[in-house]
Amino acid sequence: MATEKTVFDAWLAGAELPYDLLIPLLHEFSGADAVFSAWKKREEHPLFKAVPPACRKRMNETASEESLRGYRDLAQTHGIQSVTILEEAFPHCLRDLPDPPGVLFFRGNQQVLKAEKPAAMVGSRSASWNGLKAAERIAEGLSRAGVTVISGLALGIDAASHKGCLKGGSPTLAVMGGGLDKVYPPQNEGLMNDILKAGGLLISEYAPGVRPSSYHFPYRNRIISGLADAVILMEAKVRSGSMTTVGHALRQGKEVFAYPGDPVSPLSEANRLLLREGARYFTEAKDVLEDMNWLDNLSYVGQNIECSPKTVPDDPSERAVYLALEKGDLGFDELIAATGLTSSALMSTLTVMQIRKTVEILPGKRYQLVRK
Amino acid sequence: MDYALMAKTLSMGVAGVNGFPVHVEVFATGGIPGMEIIGLPDASVRESRDRVSAAVINSGRQMLPRRITVNLAPADMKKEGPSFDLPIAVGVLTGMRELLPSPDYDPEDTVLFGELSLDGQVRPINGALPMVISARECGYKSVILPADNAREVACIEGMRILPASTLAQVIRHIEGTEEIVPQQQLSYGDLCQERIITADMSRIRGQQAARRALEVAAAGGHNMLMIGVPGSGKTMLARCLPGILPPMTLEESLETTRIHSISGRLAPGSGLMVIRPFSAPHHSTSVISLIGGGPNAKPGEVSLAHNGVLFLDELPEFSRAALEALRQPLEDGVVSISRIRRQAQYQSSFMLVAAMNPCPCGYFGSSTRVCRCTPNEIRKYLDRISGPLLDRIDLQIEVDAVPVKEINASVLCESSAQVALRVAAARKIQQERYRKEPFFCNAQLSNDALRRYCTMSPDAEALLSAAVEAMHLSMRAYSRILKTARTVADLDHAEIIASAHVAEAVQYRELDQKYWR
Repeated sequence: MATEKTVFDAWLAGAELPYDLLIPLLHEFSGADAVFSAWKKREEHPLFKAVPPACRKRMNETASEESLRGYRDLAQTHGIQSVTILEEAFPHCLRDLPDPPGVLFFRGNQQVLKAEKPAAMVGSRSASWNGLKAAERIAEGLSRAGVTVISGLALGIDAASHKGCLKGGSPTLAVMGGGLDKVYPPQNEGLMNDILKAGGLLISEYAPGVRPSSYHFPYRNRIISGLADAVILMEAKVRSGSMTTVGHALRQGKEVFAYPGDPVSPLSEANRLLLREGARYFTEAKDVLEDMNWLDNLSYVGQNIECSPKTVPDDPSERAVYLALEKGDLGFDELIAATGLTSSALMSTLTVMQIRKTVEILPGKRYQLVRK
Repeated sequence: MDYALMAKTLSMGVAGVNGFPVHVEVFATGGIPGMEIIGLPDASVRESRDRVSAAVINSGRQMLPRRITVNLAPADMKKEGPSFDLPIAVGVLTGMRELLPSPDYDPEDTVLFGELSLDGQVRPINGALPMVISARECGYKSVILPADNAREVACIEGMRILPASTLAQVIRHIEGTEEIVPQQQLSYGDLCQERIITADMSRIRGQQAARRALEVAAAGGHNMLMIGVPGSGKTMLARCLPGILPPMTLEESLETTRIHSISGRLAPGSGLMVIRPFSAPHHSTSVISLIGGGPNAKPGEVSLAHNGVLFLDELPEFSRAALEALRQPLEDGVVSISRIRRQAQYQSSFMLVAAMNPCPCGYFGSSTRVCRCTPNEIRKYLDRISGPLLDRIDLQIEVDAVPVKEINASVLCESSAQVALRVAAARKIQQERYRKEPFFCNAQLSNDALRRYCTMSPDAEALLSAAVEAMHLSMRAYSRILKTARTVADLDHAEIIASAHVAEAVQYRELDQKYWR
C-alpha cells in the first residue's frame, strides 16, 4: 500500500541521517520498510553502528506505533506520497547530485517532474517593487511558452514567480524547506492551494510534520537548482540564500541567468556581480527561451507579447505626464516641475492614467509608466 | 457684641468647564486664635490660611487674635485651587473690622478670586474665563481678579473687570480710597488682528501633493493621515494646519479658551485664543491624558485640541487602547468623563492629523535608502491601526523626503494667508449649503446626507466606478472619495462634482490600494 510505504519513508527521512549513510542504508536493505524492521529487531549491522547519536534518538522515538500512526494520518490527510532513490520514479536529475536526497515527498501532480523545460527562479524575500513585478512578468512569459517555473514558495520573488507561472497557464513546482503538511510562510497558504489546484507540485526531502528550520532552506536549494535546466536570479544580495542556489547551479553545470535590475540598488548587487562574471543577461522571457533553445512554439514568437506599439495619449495633460515619465519614474514634485500642471490637475490626470493602466504608483509616491 | 462678627464675600469655583458661585462666609469670634476653613476644601484651599495671614500682614493690616471660621458655601461641592485666597483675605479683614467697605462697594455683587503670595501680590489662577462667564450668567456685575488674568476675560461684555496686582490695592478699592481702573474691553476682532502665525506654508519646500492635501483637509474639515519616511516633513506640514484653517469665531474661541484656562495651559497675561490649538501628545501618552480623566476628571489632549488640530505623530506607536479611545470623540465631538467624585463633559471636536512611517525602519518605498523590514514586520506594524479608526480618516497621503537641492532653493512657495483665503471661501459655501443641517462641513456628512448633497456629473460617476474597479477600492473608500470630492469641488466653487474633482479625490485614497489590502 502506497501510504504504508510512505510511513516508513517518513520514519527514515524523519531521522535526518546524513546522505552518505541514508543512501547506503536504502541500498543495503532495498527499502525503508526493511530498514525499519531490521532496526526494530535491533539487528547488529555495521551501518547501524555508524548512525550518529542524535539520529539514533530520533529513529527510536519515532519507531513507536503512535508516531507511525501520526505519519500515516498526515500522509492521508494531505495526500502526501513518497519516493526513494531506489525507485524508478525518483527524478533522474537529482540522482546525479553529489549529495542527493534519499527520500522525496510529493504533494500534487507528479507529472510536473517530467517537464521538458524546467527553469528555477530565485530571488530575495524582500525584493523591490520593480523586482517583484519583473519576476511575475517573466514567469508569466516563460509559463506561456510551456516552461515549468520552479521556486521555493517563500515571500517576495519566489511567490511572485509562482504567481506569474500560474497566470501563464503552466503548472509550477515548489520545493519546500519543511514537511509538506504545513505551509511556510503561512501567508502563502492561498498561493499553495492555487498551485495545487492548477496541477502543480510540492516537493520536500523532509518528512511530514518536520518544521522548517533555517538550515533547511539553503540545503534544499540544491534540489531547486538540481530540478531545473536554467536558474534565473531575479534580485538578490551577494550574501543570500538565492546565491547559494546559484552556487549549486554552477557546480551542477546549469545555465545561470541574471536579471539586470536597478544598476545602483543594493538589492540587486548579486545580479551585477553575476553579470560581470559572465552570467546570461536577459530582460524578457523571450531572451531566456532563446538562450535555452526552448523556442519551439512558433505561435509564441508571433505573439511577441513583450513589446507593444507606443501609444502616446491625446489629452494634453496626459500627454505631458506620459512624455515626462518616458525617461523613468518620477516623484510628484518632479512631475509638477516637468509638466507645469497644478497639483490638483496633476492628481486628476494621474488618476485617469492609473485607471487606464498607463501609469502605476510605486511605494514612496513615485510614478512610472506601466510596461506593456 | 462686637466680638462675634460675620462677613461675606463672593467668589467662583470650577466644575468641569463651568463656574459656580461660592459664598465665602467668615465668622470671627473670641477663643483660641486660629483659622479653620470648611466646606469641602482640598489641600490647596486649606493652605490658604497661611498665605492669607502672611499676605494680610504684608499689606499693612493686622491679623487680630481671633478664632476665625471660613465656610465655603455650597458646602457639598468640592473646592479646589488657590483662587479662594483673595475672597478669604477680604472676608477675614472685613470680619475682623480691619477693613470697612465703603458704601459704594457692593459685596453681594462683586466676585473676587485670585491667589495670594506671602508678600501680598495677587497671582494669576486657572479657570478665570469660565468663572467670569458663569458670574455674568448669574447676574453679577463686577469682578476683581488677578491682573494677569484680565486680558483672558477682557472680551466678555457686560462685566466690570477690575484687575488687581496686590491685596493692598484691593483693600484700598473696597475702602473707596483708591478705585481700581477697570480693564478696557477688548473686542475679539481686535485680538484677531494681533494673531501671528508661527508655522507658515511658505516655509515648506516642495511637497506639492501634501500641500494640496492639507488645503483640502482644511477646507472640508477632513481628518488626515500622512505616511512617509522619517524627516520628510510630516510634522512641519501638520503644524501649518491651524494657520490655514479659518479663524475661530468668538464662540469657538470662548469654548477652546475655557478648556485651556481650567487646564492651566494659558500663559499669564494672554487673551482669548485666536489661533486654533495644535495639540501634539507624545506616542507614549496614556489613555487618560489623551481623553481626559483622573480623580478630578480633567480634560485630556483631545479637548485641548477642541476646534483645532490633534496631531498624532508615529501613530502605530500609540497604545492600542489610546487609539481605540479616540473613536468616540472623533464621532461625537465630545467626551463624557465619569469618575466617582466628578462627572464632566468636555467638547472635543478636532481635526485629527496623524503621521506614520511606512514600516518599522521607516524606509519602505524610499527612493534614497533601503528598507530593512521583512514583509511580516511591515504587516504587523500597519495592523496596529484598526480599521474603524482608519475609516474616520478621509485623506491618506504619502509624503516623500524632499531632495536637499529643493530645500535650499530660494523660491518662496504660497503663504498660509493665500491658502487660508481659498479655505475660507470653501468653508463659506459649505456653511451656506448646510445651514438647515446640524453639521457645517463636508467631513461631517453622513451616508444619507452624502446622497443629498454630492451630485456628480455623469462622467464623474463613470470615472468613480472605473476607479473603484481598476484600483479595487471598497464601498467605504467610495463614500470617502465622494466626500473628499465634494470639498475639492467646493474649493473650485462648483456645485456639481465634476470628473476632475473625483479624479483628484481618488489620489487621497492611494494607501487603500497599496498598504492596507
